[in-house]
Amino acid sequence: MSDEQLIKEITAGNDAAFRTLMEKYQRQLFRTVMGFVHTKEDAEDITQEVFIRVYQSLHTFQGESEFSTWLYRITVNMSLNFLRSNRKKRLLQSLEALFTLRSEEKNPLEELESAERDRRIRQAIDSLPERQRMAFILSRYEELPQKKIAAVMNRSEGAVEQLLQRAKENLQKKLSPTIGK
Amino acid sequence: MQREHPIDELIRREKETEPNPFLVTRVMAKIEGAKKMRSSAPLWQSLTLAAGIAAVAFLGVSIGNSYVENGTTAIALNINDRQIENLGYYNFGDDEQGQ
Repeated sequence: MSDEQLIKEITAGNDAAFRTLMEKYQRQLFRTVMGFVHTKEDAEDITQEVFIRVYQSLHTFQGESEFSTWLYRITVNMSLNFLRSNRKKRLLQSLEALFTLRSEEKNPLEELESAERDRRIRQAIDSLPERQRMAFILSRYEELPQKKIAAVMNRSEGAVEQLLQRAKENLQKKLSPTIGK
Repeated sequence: MQREHPIDELIRREKETEPNPFLVTRVMAKIEGAKKMRSSAPLWQSLTLAAGIAAVAFLGVSIGNSYVENGTTAIALNINDRQIENLGYYNFGDDEQGQ
């Protein structure tokens, strides 16, 4: 069933159609949110909130853009709102992750080094300017084409290309002393 | 073999994370719960509140009506036992007793 048909069914009161819609998009949205928050629990909570928001505001969807574009816009906005209101909590979580990661393949020192490297990369991604981060996450986590990213972000394809280029340069600058190119 | 770049490796690992298989069920339950709350709660709440206020008012009026002012004259008469014991007897002086 196409998105348009599903939306018609949902607005007519068919909740089973909404379940189908969620099953279709849950992995994509979850991956996108993971790019912003990096923790499974938070990503699940936000994905859940996104679907509830979509259900409540589905009647406002005009069909001017693709449904998936509208869905990604809501997801990105809600993820950014979450990050803005949970800065302290996230700092504690990233420090906690350093001491709780366990791997059977690595010795404790390697484990700690690996956790520290992950923390630096996440920090570098999180410190990118908002638009660069949005473009980077949609491109790398969701592997969306530039045209689609441009539609989600309401920018031209050229602007998105520039944002991606700058994001790459910024990440290299921030990480090259410790991680390398 | 070329080694994977740490950024690519982290992104790959995060992308491989699977959401809870009950995520959809949880969302559906929340939506159902919100619907039920919206449809039934206001009526129940207002009915319960109205019934509570009526019960309190009725109880207040009933308790107020059940109060009857009882006179305590009978008890007061019993306490005043001057007529039983002649207190004047103790007022006599010693000299009067001997006569």
